[in-house]
Amino acid sequence: MAWILRRIGVSLILAWLVASIVFMTLHLVPGDPAELLLSTGGIMPDPGAVAELRDRLGLNDPLLVQYGGFLRGLTRGDLGNSLIDDYPVLAEVALRLPRTLELIFAGAILAIVVALPAGTYAALHRGGAFDRVASGLAALLLAVPVFVVGTLLILMLAQWLRVMPAGGYVPFADNPGRHLALLALPALTIAKGLAAVLFRMTRASVLDALSRDHVRTARAKGLTPRGVLVRHVVRNALIPVLTVLGLHMGTLLGGTVLVEYVFNWPGLSTPLLRAVEARDYPMVVGIVLTISGLFLLINLIMDLLYAALDPRIRAA
Amino acid sequence: MTTLPRRSLLLAGATLPLLRRPARAQSTPDTLRFGLSAWPPNLQPWASTGASAGTVKLLIHRSLVSYDSQGELRGELAESWSHEDDGAWVFRLRRNAVFHNGEPVTADDIKWTLEQIAGERSTAYMRAQFQRVERIETPDAHTLRLVTKEPVATLPHWFGGYNMAMVWRKSAPNEPVGAGPYRLTGQERGSSLELTAFDRFYKPGLPRLKRIRFVVYADENLRAAALQSGDVDMIEYVPWQSMAAVESDPALKLDAVDGPFMDVLFNGTRGPFADARVRRAVAHAIRREDIVKTAFFGRGSPLEGVPIPRGTPWYDEQLAHGWNYDPARAKALLAEAGHPDGFQTTLLATAQFGMHKDTAEVVQQHLAAIGIQCELRLPDWSTRVSLGTRGQYEIAIHGTTAENNDPDGLSSVLDTTLSPSHGRSFGVQAPRTAALLAQGRAEFDPQKRVATYKDMQRAALEEVPMVGLAWRSQGYGMKRNVQGFANLPGALTTLSGTQLETAAFA
Repeated sequence: MAWILRRIGVSLILAWLVASIVFMTLHLVPGDPAELLLSTGGIMPDPGAVAELRDRLGLNDPLLVQYGGFLRGLTRGDLGNSLIDDYPVLAEVALRLPRTLELIFAGAILAIVVALPAGTYAALHRGGAFDRVASGLAALLLAVPVFVVGTLLILMLAQWLRVMPAGGYVPFADNPGRHLALLALPALTIAKGLAAVLFRMTRASVLDALSRDHVRTARAKGLTPRGVLVRHVVRNALIPVLTVLGLHMGTLLGGTVLVEYVFNWPGLSTPLLRAVEARDYPMVVGIVLTISGLFLLINLIMDLLYAALDPRIRAA
Repeated sequence: MTTLPRRSLLLAGATLPLLRRPARAQSTPDTLRFGLSAWPPNLQPWASTGASAGTVKLLIHRSLVSYDSQGELRGELAESWSHEDDGAWVFRLRRNAVFHNGEPVTADDIKWTLEQIAGERSTAYMRAQFQRVERIETPDAHTLRLVTKEPVATLPHWFGGYNMAMVWRKSAPNEPVGAGPYRLTGQERGSSLELTAFDRFYKPGLPRLKRIRFVVYADENLRAAALQSGDVDMIEYVPWQSMAAVESDPALKLDAVDGPFMDVLFNGTRGPFADARVRRAVAHAIRREDIVKTAFFGRGSPLEGVPIPRGTPWYDEQLAHGWNYDPARAKALLAEAGHPDGFQTTLLATAQFGMHKDTAEVVQQHLAAIGIQCELRLPDWSTRVSLGTRGQYEIAIHGTTAENNDPDGLSSVLDTTLSPSHGRSFGVQAPRTAALLAQGRAEFDPQKRVATYKDMQRAALEEVPMVGLAWRSQGYGMKRNVQGFANLPGALTTLSGTQLETAAFA
């Protein structure tokens, strides 16, 4: 129990460190949010108006005072309001995080659905035509950046064939069909890298499992090939694949920026990008804190799970 | 073992019905779907937050005047205006205008609005201008008299921008009630805004479209793709590389004008660029066609003088080429200023916007040819703005638009006596240019104004408060059957939003 509390305490300290580092670095970078907002589009604002806006936003307070205010808000669970339109950061995160998660999960499901069977099949027919083509394709998919794939998909499916929308977002409740149509291309784009990784992992893992003694024994016992495959090969091969999948889900959370931008998917990374450009301090800190909080949470759960499985970790 | 591949194929096939789903949202004749280039940071009526916000604001709100498709001032909440002998500008308001809550638009509302704009705690874009108004009088409910501290011939233009919304005087602080042709009736934060026609708008029969749905496409290529694939009916800021495709598409049309421009700014407080001859050398050293070709895919035109649009009374063919490309002359000017072998310096631009970076690279090459070796500084836009305002640069690339097509609208670019700004040269001495701008602003006689502004151009060509580089094309792309919209000429292009009130599907 004490171990768990200590582990949670460490996570909270890490979250505080992340928030403080991001807060301080942001304020060190040149750029004045008030001046920037009023200069949108290369317009030259009146310095009086800029000074007034700075004052209104509390940007003239000493940095430590601003930091103190930020920490006080944090303890109440308040991430502050956007400097641009006074919208609560927490509400923005609550609105957009589910969309990013939806995109990641849709991408992951697509990747799993394609990669696991394909990887298994390639391993079973190692050196065959399918294996060679699929392995080559996987290498290609890994090598091509997501924005290239995304742009190509838009060019072919939206601009030439005109069978898919070019991008955007409609809430599921408003129009489920269009929601899914708009989800398809970005999810596919996200899925491509993950699918390639999972394909290779599955293939290697299945090959490894196939050469194990217990598989030979199972065959010798006279089990059907299908039974051996499902119960003894795939099940064992899945463990390393799931570990890789777990690791990559975390990376995807931070890696959707380009995909969301290219497809105009209003997830968490659009406001993050915009907030960095506009020096919208509370928004940047709030979103980074959310993402790192999720990372920490995943790590914490993993640690707790490992500990539950293996008592040796608790002692360490 | 043969069952697996079959199953994997089935699973892979499961995604196909999704792809076959009818992908495009159907267009309806009473709703225009408009692709915006940026999510409006906010829709505050008087603070400037960019042209995309401006387009939306022009539909929700109205000012006293706006511009017609020829770029001439026309009445909105004011039906006429005149300059009286006692020096006051008098605006007579139309009597049938009401705010969205049904309250009539009165002179008191206008007075209250102007007081907010000019107030001590104001963040309004036009704050400084309206602080030059000494008195606001309202002799009756439909007459407004403005007495300025010094004569201003261009005052009606002050009301033409998108940061001059007239607001009901009893509005709650964050809920301004406007009198425009549309009301904001819905939004999907960060991605779309829905405007619905206001049925008591003061112009009979307008607006023609029941709804305008703004959808944000920040990526310019996606915005163009959305137009081509039929996801939207119209887009702003057609990227230059897509203009040819929009023109050649039989279902689409392009309405483009040369409006904004690129220029070189100088830090005149130190180093070689304090000398006007060195600045003039820069002006003669750059082949503008290369910028138009490289940065704008040929969609623009060279600018070899002060940015006065062709076709206006102040335009002069000879003055417009006062900084023609002449490297020999540039070298001679450098030698005369004591730099026969050139010198090393830095050139500030931003990597965040391709047009700034591309322009900077062309300028760098041409300056190298006359011996000025520039090291490029390409920070993000925020840093670029900060460095510019604080004068932490030697020369810089900028892109902007004049306030309007009157030469007075160039004051913010040319008048270096104004406060430091990222869009103006820093500490450059150009006193005659500034004086002539002031003279033109105070002059009411049209003929004399033309003469004054030609003198101003001559002065600027010598004093070089900035160097014009290129006009860039600003285009709206739309379906061929979208009628009744016109891209306003020159600097007014960013104010074309008002034109959407007459837009409709043929």
